[in-house]
Order: sequence, then C-alpha cells, then structure tokens
Amino acid sequence: MASVRSSQQPGARPSAAGDPGARRPAAAVRAGAAGRGRAGGRTGGGLAIFIVAGVLISAVFVVPLLWETFRSFQPESTVTNPPSAASFSHLTFANYTKLLSGQDDIIRNVMNSLIVAVLTAALTAVVSTMAGYGFGLFRFRGAGLVFGLVLLAFMIPFQAVLTPLFLELHFLHLLNSLIGLALFYTTFNLPVGVYVMRNSFLQVPREIVDAARVDGASVTRTLLSVLRPLVLPGIATSALYAFLFSWTEFLGALSFMTNDSLFTLPVALSNVETGTYGAINYGLLLAGAVIAMVPCIVVYVALQRYYVRGLVSGALKG
Amino acid sequence: MAATQAPGAPAAARRRLLPQRRSAADRRNARVGLAFTSPALLLVGAFALFPLGFGIYISLTNWPLVGPYHFIGLSNYTSLIHDSVFLQSILFTLKYTAIVTIPIFVVGYALAVFVRANRRGTTVFRTLIFLPYIVGLVAESYMAVVELQPSSGTANFVLSKLGIVSNTTAWTVHTGLATTAICILVIWFASGLTMMLLMAGMQSIPTDLYESARVDGASWWSAERRITFPLLRRSIALSLIISVVGSFLAFNQFFIITDGGPGTSTVPVVMSIFQTAFADTDVGLASAMSVVLIIVVGLITFVQFHYLQGDGD
Repeated sequence: MASVRSSQQPGARPSAAGDPGARRPAAAVRAGAAGRGRAGGRTGGGLAIFIVAGVLISAVFVVPLLWETFRSFQPESTVTNPPSAASFSHLTFANYTKLLSGQDDIIRNVMNSLIVAVLTAALTAVVSTMAGYGFGLFRFRGAGLVFGLVLLAFMIPFQAVLTPLFLELHFLHLLNSLIGLALFYTTFNLPVGVYVMRNSFLQVPREIVDAARVDGASVTRTLLSVLRPLVLPGIATSALYAFLFSWTEFLGALSFMTNDSLFTLPVALSNVETGTYGAINYGLLLAGAVIAMVPCIVVYVALQRYYVRGLVSGALKG
Repeated sequence: MAATQAPGAPAAARRRLLPQRRSAADRRNARVGLAFTSPALLLVGAFALFPLGFGIYISLTNWPLVGPYHFIGLSNYTSLIHDSVFLQSILFTLKYTAIVTIPIFVVGYALAVFVRANRRGTTVFRTLIFLPYIVGLVAESYMAVVELQPSSGTANFVLSKLGIVSNTTAWTVHTGLATTAICILVIWFASGLTMMLLMAGMQSIPTDLYESARVDGASWWSAERRITFPLLRRSIALSLIISVVGSFLAFNQFFIITDGGPGTSTVPVVMSIFQTAFADTDVGLASAMSVVLIIVVGLITFVQFHYLQGDGD
C-alpha cells in the first residue's frame, strides 16, 4: 500500500518541508513573484501578490462561465437586446421552465445523456478493471499483443472511423440506440481505462495476491473481495473520464442518432440553436448550455483528485 | 510464505525443477488472463479495429449510403486531389492548428509555472483555470453563439466600449472574424489542459536541482532553461501532441458557431468528411478522406512516440 500511496504524492510535496528557513527577503520576493519560491508563503507581501494574481488569472477562466449562467436567468428579450443597467435587475427562471416543460422536451434529452454517460462509466469501469487484472497479474502468451491492440484504439481517432462505424452499427441494429452509443463511447475510453487499471494492479503488493490464493480464494473472489478496495481509486479515475467524455461528446451522437427523442443533450441543443422547434430562442439556448455545464463541474470538483491522478499517470507514459 | 516472497532466482530454479507443474500453471494463467482481457479486446476489435479495416475497404469502392457498390480501385483517392472543398478544409485545418498551438502552449506553460508550487491557494486556482476544459467546448460554443451576436452579444458590448470593434460586428459571417473568435475560444478552453500536463511533469523534477542552481547563483530564467526545459521534454511533447491532434480533429466549435460558413471557408477536415458521408452520402469518398486523416494523425503520433523513445532514460 505504501508504494501506491507514495506514487500519488506530487513530487514537490516532500521537499517543501525541507525548505531552508533562512532566506534573504529579496530572493524570496523575487522567487515568489515567479511562482516557484516556497518561501513566498512566509513573506506576507509575496503571498498577497500571489493571491491577487491568482484571483485575476482564475477570473479570466471562470467569469465567462459565471456570466453565462447569470445571462441564462435573464428573460429572452434581454438576452437578444443590447445589455443595459436594467438587465441586471430583472432575473427569471422563465428560460428553464420553458426549456424543461415546452414542446422541446429537453428533459428527455437530459435523461438520454445521463443514461448513456452512466452506462459508459459503468461499462468502462468493469471492462477496464477486468482487463487491468488480466494484464497486471497474469502472465500469458500474447498478453503484450493484446495489450498493444487495446492501446492501438488510442491511436485511432474516432472521428476518422465514424462512417464505417455508422454502417456497422446499422447492420447490428445499434443505430438510434443509447446502448450502441454507450458501447462506442466505452470502446474509445478503454485505452485510458485499461492503462490506468493495469498500473493499479501492478502496484498491488504481490504478497496480498499470494495470500488470498493460499487462503483458497478463487481468481474472481480475489478480485472482488481482496483487490477491489485496493484498486478503487483507479476504478474511479476510469469511470470519471468515461462519464465526462460521454456527457460532453457531440460528433458521434450527432452521427449515430437520427431520432429526435433519442438525442443526447448536446445534440438536442443544436435544434434549439437553429430553431427547429420554432423561432430561435437564445434564452433557451443559454439555459440548455448551463444545464449541460453544471454536472461536469459538480462531478469534477467532487472527484478531481482521481482526474488529476489519471493525468499524471498519462503524462508519465511514453 | 518465505518461498512465495522470494522472487527471481529461486522461482527460476523451481521452474527448472518442476517443468510440468509450471507449465500447467502457465496454461491456467493464460486461460484466466485471456478470459479477463477478452471483453476489452472484443470491444476494441468490434468498434475500433474492425471499422478501421472496413473503412479502408469502403474507400476502395463507390459505396453509397444505400444500394449496391463495386470496386473502383484508388479512384476515390485520385478524386480527392481535385476535390477543392476537401483540399480547402485541409488547408484551413492546418492554418487553424498553426494559429492555436503556440498560444495554447505558451499560456499553458505560464499557468503551469504559476500553479506548480504547492502553496496556499494553488489547488483552488488549478481547479478554476481547468474548468473551461472540463465543461467542454460544446456547451461553450453554444454560449459563444449567443454572445457573438451583433448588437446584443456581450463580446461586441465589451469590445465596442473598449473601442476595438463596432457594436454591430457580425462575427460569424466573416471568415476572418469567425476564425479569430473560435481561436480565442479554443485557446481559453484548452490552455488549462496544457497547464495540468506540464504541471504534472514539473512536479516530478527533483527540487534539489533548483536548490543547487540557486546556490550556484543561477537566475530564475537560466534554471528554467537549463533544468525545467530538458527534464520536461516528455510532458512538453505530450501536451503539444494532444493539442495538435485535437486541433486537427476539430469539429464541434465550427459546426455550432459557423456551420462551416460563410460558404465553405471555415470547414475543418472532420466536417468535410461528415458532410461527404451524411449529406452527399458518398461513403466511399468520405472513407478515403478518413484514411488520409488517420495517416496524418498517425504520423503526428508516431513522431511523438519516436521523440519520446529517443529521450534515453
């Protein structure tokens, strides 16, 4: 377990404690302004500059999202007219109530997105865990070839196989199918998932696996009872990536879904944008975009350490 | 227990002593290993490798969306050379990739330098700066559509107050303006990812290297140049490749914001394929375009792996 834990620690953390306390103020301020000096925290001025700069930089990335959320609570007439002081005082849920109750029936599309995203996350987690177990703990002839084939999907951009995939899904009666879409999403999330899970199983101390065997646990029981808690962070990482990919994916859903009632939310919003259901209503479009945005933020903020874990292991690849 | 804990030489000796038992265990391992990895292989085979082969096959035919087809050899590929819309889309995609790559990298690098130290506030800043990437370009493109409207959008409101453009600027109906707007949107969206990738690489560089550089009197910039850049090569390559490949496969923001317009001036390669397959229903030609795209993206990825392998550690 110790090896698992230490690999999650950002490299800079341990040495921060060993930072020499005595340091000339000028050097500390300079280093602090540059963002690297860990002594900056000890000089009030350096910290204040860092915080102010950080708030300003963060604002560039967050204020547009907050502003659009605010705008989505403005009446449609305000959204399509020049901004004025009055537009700040009049806020309403009208866009949301209209979007979620009107003939657009966006709730159905939100449910479609949710079903596909949850199914993709679950499938990716299960299939990646099984594959990671197989690659990580069992030596077998051809393992390298199979692993290479799975990772090969990483090299194939799904955008470039959409046409043959469309025909294939048609033959398999998986067009206009939420299950078909989830299988497609799962496939293209497997390279990352399998890679993460194989590493998770490789980090499990060999003695634990052997002890379970000695105690008479079957291969499956070892996985489900003994190893599952140890690789849970990896499972969370795989599922999280798959969920976010599926929830925000557009091109595949646009290609493989031709029936309005099966559209996922991002595709349904393109109907709102072009006014397929009547007059173009930008208030509805903003409300829909905010509905598409919020789950990503909630899921990411709640589970971000698993996301960052995946990025780090991906970055160390190669 | 002692025997199971001792790896290496004793295990090899046992294998020599007990060849039959060992191979029985090998066979069992092979069976179990294959059983557990086969669902992944099945999915990748069915929905990634098969379509790849099938696509190459289709690209040699005149496959319409419905109806019979026959082989036409490399005709699809030769007609691509004269397909002005496709060629224009390649040129446009190259231009777009060239415009956004360096700003995404420079902004992402600067952000990574800013958030890499583990000090108060950095975790929050990292999360906030990374949010545009997490939210996804699709939702943000819809927001951009609303805000790029002439006379009512926030973009014109702010920029006209600053005296940069007129309040009636119609961003999405001019090629240059539309491309500019989309590039700014994408740089804002993608720099967070480059930041995270580079930050992860920077944190794996031992800090005592910087300590000794400081003791030797090295300036911040020379430490960055002599220590960070060389040791960060893998991360830099990875972030550049992800960014370049992502730009090359761009579709969503163009489909939503300009729909390729005005005319076909902002059609990226993937949209060109999408339209050929689903609007013109010329699946053979679309597949030939896809094969070209896979080769280009494969070359970029190969260069990456080659570069990383050559790192020598």
